[in-house]
Amino acid sequence: MKLFAYIFFLIFFTQSAISSSDREIEIYKNIRCLVCQGQSLNDSNSDFANDLKKIIKDKIDQNETDKQIYKYLVDRFGDWILFDPPVKITTVFLWIIPLLVLILGFYVLYKKVNFIKNRDD
Amino acid sequence: MELGIKYMASNLGLICLSLALLTSIFLTLSFIKHAIFKTDLNYKNFYFSFKFSFFLIVFAFIFLIIAFIFSDFSILAVYENSHTDKPLFYKISGTWGNHEGSMLLFILVISLYGFLFIIFSKNLSQNLKSVTVFFQSIIQIIFLIFLVFTSNPFEKILPIPNQGLGLNPILQDPLLAIHPPFLYLGYVGFSLLFSLLLAALVTNQYDSSWASIAKRWIFLPWTFLTFGIGLGSFWAYYELGWGGYWFWDPVENASLMPWIASTALLHSILVMEKAKKLFNWTAILAILTFVLSLFGTFLVRSGILNSVHAFANDPSRGFFILIIISGLTFAAFVIFILKSSKEVKNNQSYIFLSREFSILVNNYLLIFALAVVIIGTTYPIILSVLTSESISVGPNYYNSILAPFVFIFLILMAMGPYLKWGKNFFISIKYRFLNILLGSIFITAVLSFVVQNYDIIFWLGILCSLYLLISIIYEPYYLKFNNLNFGRLFSHAGFGLLIFAITLNHFFSKEFTAKIPIGKSVTYENFKITFIKSSSTKQKNYDELFGYYEVTRGNSTISLKPSIRKYHQPEQFTAETSIKNKWFSDFYLAMDYSKDPSNGIGIRFYFNYFVALIWASFILITLGGFLAFIQRKNEKSI
Amino acid sequence: MKNQFKILILALVFIIFVIIFYSALGTNNKNNTQVMVSKKLPRIELTSLYEEEKKISFPKINHKDYYIINIWASWCVPCRDEHPFLMKLANENKVKIFGINYKDSKMNALTFLKELGNPFYDIGIDSNGQNSIELGAYGVPETYLIDDKGIIILKHVGPINKDMYQKIVDKIK
Repeated sequence: MKLFAYIFFLIFFTQSAISSSDREIEIYKNIRCLVCQGQSLNDSNSDFANDLKKIIKDKIDQNETDKQIYKYLVDRFGDWILFDPPVKITTVFLWIIPLLVLILGFYVLYKKVNFIKNRDD
Repeated sequence: MELGIKYMASNLGLICLSLALLTSIFLTLSFIKHAIFKTDLNYKNFYFSFKFSFFLIVFAFIFLIIAFIFSDFSILAVYENSHTDKPLFYKISGTWGNHEGSMLLFILVISLYGFLFIIFSKNLSQNLKSVTVFFQSIIQIIFLIFLVFTSNPFEKILPIPNQGLGLNPILQDPLLAIHPPFLYLGYVGFSLLFSLLLAALVTNQYDSSWASIAKRWIFLPWTFLTFGIGLGSFWAYYELGWGGYWFWDPVENASLMPWIASTALLHSILVMEKAKKLFNWTAILAILTFVLSLFGTFLVRSGILNSVHAFANDPSRGFFILIIISGLTFAAFVIFILKSSKEVKNNQSYIFLSREFSILVNNYLLIFALAVVIIGTTYPIILSVLTSESISVGPNYYNSILAPFVFIFLILMAMGPYLKWGKNFFISIKYRFLNILLGSIFITAVLSFVVQNYDIIFWLGILCSLYLLISIIYEPYYLKFNNLNFGRLFSHAGFGLLIFAITLNHFFSKEFTAKIPIGKSVTYENFKITFIKSSSTKQKNYDELFGYYEVTRGNSTISLKPSIRKYHQPEQFTAETSIKNKWFSDFYLAMDYSKDPSNGIGIRFYFNYFVALIWASFILITLGGFLAFIQRKNEKSI
Repeated sequence: MKNQFKILILALVFIIFVIIFYSALGTNNKNNTQVMVSKKLPRIELTSLYEEEKKISFPKINHKDYYIINIWASWCVPCRDEHPFLMKLANENKVKIFGINYKDSKMNALTFLKELGNPFYDIGIDSNGQNSIELGAYGVPETYLIDDKGIIILKHVGPINKDMYQKIVDKIK
């Protein structure tokens, strides 16, 4: 019964279009409020955060792409301002090391496993 | 009269700590003497002195609490972190809301686990038991020295100030007040396992019966750690006002690292117990778990991180913690290298699709997840040292890398328990897997159609978590009741439910921010939010401004009453959220502090689905851990 | 022998670990405020504090000398602390200082200057803080030293102190 009830509940809500404010929030969430403790722009109400939000909103209204907006911010405040680290030589290890762990682990696993079809019965 | 109690407490506290240190040193030395000269050791006295040191530490902690309750500002830690106007509850929680007090709590937990171990280890040889206590008291000594000489909680201040500086308002929250003790009971608790491992290695008793006994010393701290992490998440949701429950914040990661390592450990130790394999790997995991606990303490306490969970911290102490971590780990690994058992070569292979194979894959995935969390958390620190560049690693990094593996992990969690130790049993039960799979595909398809969501991630998240949940529900049907392992069933079900809830929450939650003047309203999709009026009250340690809002959706209206608090000591603003639960959804509203409220007060509104299910799953996982802890069916004696 | 080798490797790992994290304790792994240094000053245009029709634009074109841009406000307490240094720079070191009056009222700004002296060659208004962000500023006070080619050669976040003053003087010699 309950399952039924919440499914009904869900139907009610899912016709959503991505409005501009959703895009704003997406961008705000990826930007660090530099004068706060670990908050994103979206989470912060400081003067700095509000000023930046205004600028970003203007840029969205001028049809700038996310990339252009991020570049604008990184040029002025550095990579630290983005929660998504950029991919470049100094940061590529963020992805390479997990990949190495994955491959190495798989190799070890493969070596350890005995693929005899069936030892049952 | 009150004055007398005050000063007595501060002096007695330090005396207790010093005596505890001396007692621990004494018992350690007497044990070394016994080990070297083969003299007889009076075990009773030996354990008694450890218990004695434990009680001294308990008393020291109580004296510190008393000093906080009576606001004894002659003590530096009290002066810096308390205030006479604070409610009693926060005076007490202020005891561990600062570096010194929390380190004392840290030591208290080390000692507590040693104490519990002495009391509850009846089926252990005196040899193994005493060496374990010996190692535990060495850890205790190291941290007591650190405490007394670098962060003495009873340090005096002259002249005695009349008033304290107060506690960080964000820490004045009932959840956060009880959160650190649980986290500490969690990850500091792994110290006992660490000692137990070293003792087993040194006394050559590191075998499968050891595993059967050591297991519970993983389950207990693991249970507390899970609960502590859940509480932290719950706190973040209610207190921070950002609508989320997990931010991949470095401090959160610091507690997640030992959790992942210990989860891997409590699976690998099963292989060690049941299949007599994976000895060396289990030992490495046991050391790793404790090291990561210490490393987490280092990250949090040294001030190296920029985090939402602000703590009072001091970089100079970081160095000592660093030395302690490296010293302990290095010593442990040296003992491991010298004493590790040589596993028999032909015992080394794992049959494909056997139970131990599934645990091997489990460990592989968990170690991968652990590597991602460690790298994401420490890479910015390392990069800034090497290149003076600074980067942030945020939620997207973790989510995008880990999400695909979570799905595989869920399937594995569902299948693993049906597999048999030491043989490939898969063929005989393949239809069982198939049936469950078809069932979950069907439900996923129906659900997806009903909610009109055809995102592949949504499908996978729902499908895999349902697959796990259905497998668990059907387990009693396939297995005899007596053979059911309720600890595992509960925690696995909890994990499945967690991913299920997170997936739904992720895809259906909404959020939006606006500025609303009093009497006006805004609409967003099918929500209408009206700011009706505001009122303010004065409390002992803060002033509070309430906003009265009505959220209308369709023909139902919900009133919410968030507030902004202005704390006096120290002066700081916090936002109190207002959350109302209706069915499976939360209406979540928070106000922003604004200097100029004339053109409206900023609000953030979140419509969150299934958050209650997330808390329920944390409780299930915790309960599972607890059940596993009290279940002692297969315990052997050494 | 094999064990000794393992232990040696282990010791090395821990030494590296301690060195890295020990140095991390001393370095700033958080915000790098020097991102704009040695970049070209972004173009901004401000309204003059004195005449509403007059515009002040940066970077100054064909400017043969180094000049300073200082972001300040009358409500900003640290700005009062750094003011004597600005006065000294303007009067003794003869460097042109352009002020950006940040989120301030004209009245208060003028009273502030009357009270403490006016070190500024010219002042533009940034009423909503947007122009300051264009320069990569976090708030007030902030100081930028621009060379004759329009490149930012020094940026300071927070009030100018003795050391910073000396640094600026050394650069403009």
